[in-house]
Amino acid sequence: MVRSSKPTGTTVRAYQVGFGDCFLLTVHYPARDRHVLIDFGTTGTPDGRDKERLLAIATDIATRSRGRLDAIVATHRHKDHIAGFDTAGIESPGAIIRSLKPRLVVQPWTEDPKARTNARAGVQKRVKNFRAALGDMQTFAGHARSEAISLARYAKGAAAPLGFLGEANLANRAAVENLMRMAPNDYVFAGGPTRLTRVLPGVKVWVLGPPTLLQAEGIKRQRRSDPNEFWQLQADYWRLLAGHVRESSRPGLLFPARHAVLGRVPVDARWFVRHAAAARAEELLGLVRSLDTALNNTSVILVFEVNGKRLLFPGDAQIENWEYALGQPKNKQILKNVQLYKVGHHGSRNATPKSLWRLFETRSTTASRGRLTTILSTMGGKHGHEDDHTEVPRKALVQALRRESAYFTTQELGSVPFAANAQVDD
Amino acid sequence: MAPSYLISPPTAPTRKLTILAQDPTVCVHGHILTAEAEIPYEALDPGPRGHRVGVIDFDSSTGTLYRPAAVPVRISNRVESVLGDPAFHAQNVYAIVMRTLARFEFALGRRVAWSFDGHQLYAAPHAFQEANAYYSKQDRGLFFGYFNDERRRRIFTCLSADVVAHETTHALVDGLRERYTFPSSPDQAAFHEGLADVVALLSIFSLPNVVEALLDEKAPKGEGLFIQRASLTVARLRETALFGLGEEVDPRRSALRRSVAIPPKATILSEAEYAEPHRRGEVLVAAMMNAFLQIWRSRIAKLGDGRNPRLYRETVAEAGRRAADHLLTMAIRALDFAPAADLLFGDYLSALLTADMEIQPDDSRFGYRATLLKCFASYGITPASHHTLGDNPGVWEPPDGPLSDAFVHFESLRHDPDEVFRFLWENRKALRLDDRAYTRVISVRPSTRLSTDGFTVRETVAEYVQILDVTVSELGALGLTPPKDMDRWLKVTLYGGGALVFDEFGRLKYHVRNRILNARRQNERLAYLWRHGAFSPAEKPARRFAAMHRLRASGGVTPFTDAEVRYGQVF
Repeated sequence: MVRSSKPTGTTVRAYQVGFGDCFLLTVHYPARDRHVLIDFGTTGTPDGRDKERLLAIATDIATRSRGRLDAIVATHRHKDHIAGFDTAGIESPGAIIRSLKPRLVVQPWTEDPKARTNARAGVQKRVKNFRAALGDMQTFAGHARSEAISLARYAKGAAAPLGFLGEANLANRAAVENLMRMAPNDYVFAGGPTRLTRVLPGVKVWVLGPPTLLQAEGIKRQRRSDPNEFWQLQADYWRLLAGHVRESSRPGLLFPARHAVLGRVPVDARWFVRHAAAARAEELLGLVRSLDTALNNTSVILVFEVNGKRLLFPGDAQIENWEYALGQPKNKQILKNVQLYKVGHHGSRNATPKSLWRLFETRSTTASRGRLTTILSTMGGKHGHEDDHTEVPRKALVQALRRESAYFTTQELGSVPFAANAQVDD
Repeated sequence: MAPSYLISPPTAPTRKLTILAQDPTVCVHGHILTAEAEIPYEALDPGPRGHRVGVIDFDSSTGTLYRPAAVPVRISNRVESVLGDPAFHAQNVYAIVMRTLARFEFALGRRVAWSFDGHQLYAAPHAFQEANAYYSKQDRGLFFGYFNDERRRRIFTCLSADVVAHETTHALVDGLRERYTFPSSPDQAAFHEGLADVVALLSIFSLPNVVEALLDEKAPKGEGLFIQRASLTVARLRETALFGLGEEVDPRRSALRRSVAIPPKATILSEAEYAEPHRRGEVLVAAMMNAFLQIWRSRIAKLGDGRNPRLYRETVAEAGRRAADHLLTMAIRALDFAPAADLLFGDYLSALLTADMEIQPDDSRFGYRATLLKCFASYGITPASHHTLGDNPGVWEPPDGPLSDAFVHFESLRHDPDEVFRFLWENRKALRLDDRAYTRVISVRPSTRLSTDGFTVRETVAEYVQILDVTVSELGALGLTPPKDMDRWLKVTLYGGGALVFDEFGRLKYHVRNRILNARRQNERLAYLWRHGAFSPAEKPARRFAAMHRLRASGGVTPFTDAEVRYGQVF
């Protein structure tokens, strides 16, 4: 290897995006630093001025990278990871990023519009169905959000989380288009290759997720007698759920207005109406949580190795995605020596399974050289509840992070400064 | 002075209301197939609302409450008339719920209460925009969704007789055996789904004129009064609309739920695909409905003189009606003979056989019990009881004695839970009840039947449950073996219980029980629940039926969404 292409160190710059992820991974070289932007989005900043914040961050990225971004990784299509690539408006963060002329955009295989797979045609049909289902899930999320508005009248408590999750799962066409067009796309899958290694000389990159359909189906619990039928059913199911939305933005009355009761709900119907609304909100929430999980589990999981130091970026991958990855002995070897862990899914419970956490041998309760560094990009009070242990970030997890690693969270950043660097030295 | 009573009731005890026989797609000669459902007469409020069920037409997707309907509602056979009238939808739901309820009460000879505190079950015919329908105990109601299908046509689940009967059955079974909705084994969750389908399917046969119309609906018009014997093979009958469920509700219209067509295989219940409750329930349906088909077929074979290739359509339908009627009564009565908790398919089979033997000791004419045994065995289900009484294998054995009824009052025993508990307590050793567990008699009900000599026999059925709260570390001392990776300090609740059947003299005839410390059952249950995350502290008794039906519609959990996160796997 030529001396000028041997890395001399790594910096991870974590941006304050509230509930979201935005990391600038910089690998230092004697000639020129190389920059990889890993996710850029938010569903809510601390001061509520999301657009301004994203613009400011895009500008900072442009400055730090000296107008030249080498690669982008969009781990999955959730708003809190891709909103910054949006090109709406005269001045948009997405346009700024695009102007940095990245050489590569890395996304999960689920985003490949050609649904390419190197397996047989039968599998291709399954992949098409799965992708269709993902799209319809997002359409349905929009519908759930609208329904939450009418439900709030009868069941306020249940409607609020529905609104937030629905919003977070809405499709962002402009951002998706921008990512597709701004550079050659690299669609990755677990165990497969990635062109990131060409962009980062001397750096090893492993892809640990997401699993392909075949890989996922191989997990013992998931084996089905007819996977083709199963994925067709999935696609049909979500298409049905999403379908009625194309008729109108809000579901209309079923029957002519003369059939409806106007004004207050009659007293003898009140108990039931309240309960029916609460039941519906709970149902919708279950559906939206399910699709939220599905989308999270399309996350790219990457491990970078620079001069023997490993950095783990798992996006929002949850336990199902990890189940596949942790089932491969080779991956366990890779993960043992992780030096820096970007905590998955903003510190949610399901994204850092204990089996993963226990793998990290660099954990230590005392500050020492070589101790694991953990970075959490999150905002409390947006997602989940403590009463059912779904709060994000999860308290018990944060305790473990604090105790056994050099822990850092963007919650400590506030509005100014809006980013911080972590050095990963030799 | 006492109030005056009417000398005779103002009307007949029943009334007829028009319903859709199956759903709006089932047409015969271009008209939607309707039927007149005969249901108990009552003075109705608009809704309609009666003493057991009240329709409240609230659509939570749009936040709209529709006007209460006044029955009877008249419709034409045109699709638009049927689809466009919410009052007819309300009537359809009301009538089918009442019909199903009446059928249960007829089979059991007593009123069947809902499992929640209240006399009236609510029903929302246009509850939300989604291809789903469910029963919810905590909301005291049945919820029927609506959706647009692939061809943009609006589909109402409330117009599918199968769906309404299915959901009503969940509510009724919940009223009879409330423990069956607690997580226990794959069989138990599957049982609810399976029995609901069986009731829906068999109920069609008692609708006048429907069976005649659907026997060979695909045949060209013109057969009229007759039907070809050759078209009445088991295979052909299986293909008719009589054995297909919820056609409109399944997005893949060509592949509706036709459980009767599941090929028999003795190992089917150990296959991964059939571990999921909704799929597993279909095996129960397959066993029951194939038994029904065979009995119907053997009845048809006895019709006519064997040489004439044609039969009267009405006679064939009547044969089906009788077979369905007998089986449905058997299926419902079997609940009184089923254990109070932790039901396995083998238990239900023994309950079926015992219930039928009680009504009809001689099985030789049509061989209902023999056929059931054979069909269930073909799907790998054998009776839980190894006892045989006379020619009847698989029936429950009588309880171990000797039992004492000293200090127990016969009259009280017929209705008082405390009296029944007194009996249990006196006989706890003989009945092998573990007295460390919290034991409670949760119901005492009459069970009437006609004996073979024409006399009415009034027996008593009672249910008790046993509950033991322990930690995993204590299980060893109780003779149980929890999964190795369960945390020692985790609290678990063990359930046991039994169904008691007392004869007309107050003597205990049957004691169908789950011993609370039966090692094999409890170990299996613990392992199953542990694997499925049921011990997670966040696990709430959710609206399970809704989730179940959603799972069925979507094909099950996906590799990208698997809700079964085990306790201890995450922070």
